[in-house]
Amino acid sequence: MALTPETLVRHELNGLPVRVVESDDSSREGLSGRVVLETTNTLSVEVRESPEATRDAESSHGHDEFRVVTVPKSGSTFEFAITDEAAGDEKSLGTTSELADTQPGFDTTDTDCAGDGVAYVTVDGSRLLSRPARRTETTGDSPWQ
Amino acid sequence: MTVAEERIERLHDLARAAASDGEDDRAREYVRLARRIAERNRLSLPRPFTRFTCDACDAYLRPGVNARVRLRRGHVVITCDCGHQKRYPYDR
Repeated sequence: MALTPETLVRHELNGLPVRVVESDDSSREGLSGRVVLETTNTLSVEVRESPEATRDAESSHGHDEFRVVTVPKSGSTFEFAITDEAAGDEKSLGTTSELADTQPGFDTTDTDCAGDGVAYVTVDGSRLLSRPARRTETTGDSPWQ
Repeated sequence: MTVAEERIERLHDLARAAASDGEDDRAREYVRLARRIAERNRLSLPRPFTRFTCDACDAYLRPGVNARVRLRRGHVVITCDCGHQKRYPYDR
């Protein structure tokens, strides 16, 4: 079960490149960076800021500044970029529209395949509202009972 | 390979990368999450993971940086900066 657009909501989000597409707070829209921490209700995104962009940061000494922004899951829409061999396989199978047609039950996630084997998956934040470890488990009773 | 096993592998890599960047607390969170996933899915952790994490403070151990590795007769002793010691055997 590799990290594919279908398994993304059950898979590890830490470390993935992410962009906040929509948010109730307009100042958080358009943030892009890397997920560094996940909690039940929030994702912490590490945003890279080049020293030219942050003139108010007096501690800029030529290196890029990193800022961690906490984004609530509810009321936000995230776009994750998946780069692995599974995304590349799907890209070789067909175009974007064909892929979207052949995936049933794709109501909250839609895939947008770009070049270089990168798949962009848009997920509504309310779909991710769960404890990080609980998301992987299949719903219902425990499988060993 | 299930999603849970893959998440543990990914978290192991993330913890190692975070520890080498000096983000010790972030690495700790990744180690804790990987342990939690393993116990909820009844999986055993991979051996490199158990060898390079501290059982007491969940730190990702980097020998020479935040861990001391000493050889005793028949076993290795890894001492974390928190003082906790972990031992495992070796074949001569």
